[in-house]
Amino acid sequence: MKRKLSLTLLLLSLFSLNSIVSYSQEKSKISPYIQLQYFKDNDENSYLKTTLTYSKNRMELPLPGMKIIFYSGPEKKTRLAEIVTDDKGVAIYNLTHKSDLLANKNGLWPFGSVFNGNDTIESGASELLIRYATLNMTLTEVDSIKTIGVKVKKMEKGKEIPVSGDKVTLYVPRMFSLLPIGEATLDESGSGSVEFPSSLPGDKEGNITIIARIEDHAEFGNIEKKATLKWGLPSTYTVPAGHRALWTKTAPKWMIYTLSILLSGVWGHYLFALISLIRIRIAAKKKAKEEYRV
Amino acid sequence: MPTEKQLLQDLTPEIEKTGIRWYITFSVFFLVFCVGIYALIQQIDKGHIVTGMRDNVVWGLYIVNFIFFMGLSYAGALISGVLHLFHTGWRKPVIRLAELITVISLVIGPFFIFFCIGRLDRLPFLVMYPRIQSPITWDVIAISTDLVGCFMFLYLSLIEDFAILRDYNDLDVSPWKKKVYKVLSLGYTGTEKEKKILKNARNVMAAMIIAIAIIVYSVLAWIFGVTLQPGWHSTIFGPYFVIAAVFSGTGLLIILMWIYRKIYHLEEYITKRHFVNVGVLLTVIAAFYGYFTFSDYLTKWYGSIKMDSMLIDKLFHDYYALFIFANYVGILLPCIIIAFPKFRTIRNITIAAVIAVTALWVNRYIIVIPTLETPFLPIQDTRPDWIQYSPTWIEWSLTLAGISVYGMLFMLVSKIAPIISISEMKEEDKTEIMK
Repeated sequence: MKRKLSLTLLLLSLFSLNSIVSYSQEKSKISPYIQLQYFKDNDENSYLKTTLTYSKNRMELPLPGMKIIFYSGPEKKTRLAEIVTDDKGVAIYNLTHKSDLLANKNGLWPFGSVFNGNDTIESGASELLIRYATLNMTLTEVDSIKTIGVKVKKMEKGKEIPVSGDKVTLYVPRMFSLLPIGEATLDESGSGSVEFPSSLPGDKEGNITIIARIEDHAEFGNIEKKATLKWGLPSTYTVPAGHRALWTKTAPKWMIYTLSILLSGVWGHYLFALISLIRIRIAAKKKAKEEYRV
Repeated sequence: MPTEKQLLQDLTPEIEKTGIRWYITFSVFFLVFCVGIYALIQQIDKGHIVTGMRDNVVWGLYIVNFIFFMGLSYAGALISGVLHLFHTGWRKPVIRLAELITVISLVIGPFFIFFCIGRLDRLPFLVMYPRIQSPITWDVIAISTDLVGCFMFLYLSLIEDFAILRDYNDLDVSPWKKKVYKVLSLGYTGTEKEKKILKNARNVMAAMIIAIAIIVYSVLAWIFGVTLQPGWHSTIFGPYFVIAAVFSGTGLLIILMWIYRKIYHLEEYITKRHFVNVGVLLTVIAAFYGYFTFSDYLTKWYGSIKMDSMLIDKLFHDYYALFIFANYVGILLPCIIIAFPKFRTIRNITIAAVIAVTALWVNRYIIVIPTLETPFLPIQDTRPDWIQYSPTWIEWSLTLAGISVYGMLFMLVSKIAPIISISEMKEEDKTEIMK
């Protein structure tokens, strides 16, 4: 009796524990990760980018179709736009009227993005302060030495002041990603330079694109400048006509011969078997006819 | 010598009657198959994220099953072809089973490739834009050629039986089955001329399917062998795969002999002698298979190339139990059971065969997975699930569904064609079989 009672209690407690766990799992909401970034591209177009993701099984997964509210302003926050995240959980707002943006007393633009949450996802917000800065890139060639020069200035108290001590990364786009070719550290005049490697292949005319970037800077965000010029080695990928190899369109002859001989040998025997079946059918029909006559 | 009538009386009840046990077994298989279909729908709907396959381990249980089933198929072809060509006396009750193993495995195996491919819509590209430099193209050509050949060989061996069943007036089957026998027998009446044509065709096809089986399974092995991956890039992978295939196929043949003997009470036809003979064949192949396995791992271990050493280290640590089971227990135990006459009972030989088949499946697993878990380049921000593979319920469900379809096809075939060749058996001295 006592044993039965203990068993019942154990089962009941297990059941209730399971229910509590299930209930709490049902009730727990997704905690999103919201990231707001500022970008300025080569054409001086600025935009704000918010990425809304969450973590599941240690993987960062996007939250598409969510409304993100962008705002700006130092004290009174001005609502800029409400944008829905795409398949990658990204919402982008283009800052077309930069002159309308209000800066704080330090001359920084305060930006923010908010996700208000819903029944299954918790709310989230991200803020950042951006100072207007400019990045210029100059490309010079002296005595076959190619140099990439960069200059960064920031706006402070209505004046352009050189940025020193920060780094600008230089890239060259390759087939799958950007190849870093150097890092220019800015001196007191806001300038820095990197020697361009002479061995990089460009397109068939030697054209190569060079990208200079300030990346995820705490004050300036992301700024990019790029230029294309004939600094690369002209690439010629011409494969000799009729060249047969594992990696060309036409297979080596021995492969074609081997495969053809093997396949014709095998399928030839299949044909023999098929003809045998037809012969059996014909012989049977003939015999049936003869029997019918008799 | 058993008369044709006696043979028909003994072997046709399986075609005539369908018992409740048949329906129950078939329903169980069908249920498992339905679970597999549900898993497949989940996979198509949500993508391959529902499987355990990730960036590194891109070949998982599906490819293991594919190689395993294709191996069974080639083994069936080799065994039936060799037994037929050499006119082995005791072959007659078991040759049909070997032929069925060939065709049914060959039908099921490629489906696992379809499960593995992420973009099934691109599958026609293999035919539309083939590159004969690619081992994948070799495999597509080889499997389709083999499929046609094996179907033809099976059909050639069934013609005489279809003719016998067509002419057997006491056969109590539905009219559609009679019609099927009439059509499929091609009007064969057993005249000397017809016999000669059929015999020649069967001999040619028997020789052909032996050659194709060796080539096709070697091609499959070369998909691994030509890849510069640790553990795969081996010159002996072709013959090693062929031997391993025959090992598993022989094991499966023994298991099927036991099942059919038990279900259809074929004790008079499938005797202990057959079990011992196929068992001895299993032992001999096990010895060769063990030799190849040892040779492959010894050279890799002794060479001490960094990646090979890492792989062998992984096999002896992370995969210790599976490695020991596949390459020690799975080879030695069947050999011990069958080598000593004292242990040679039908039950023991069947147990040895079950161990052999299971071990071979595990062997396929430890060939495919640990290699992919040993990438050449180290990975930044490594997460265990990126590098370590563990199959999900989706993959297990589809694996079990494949085995269920295997069972269902055998059950369906045994309702149409006799599982022991009547035409071959009627010439067999029954007293000889009984020895």
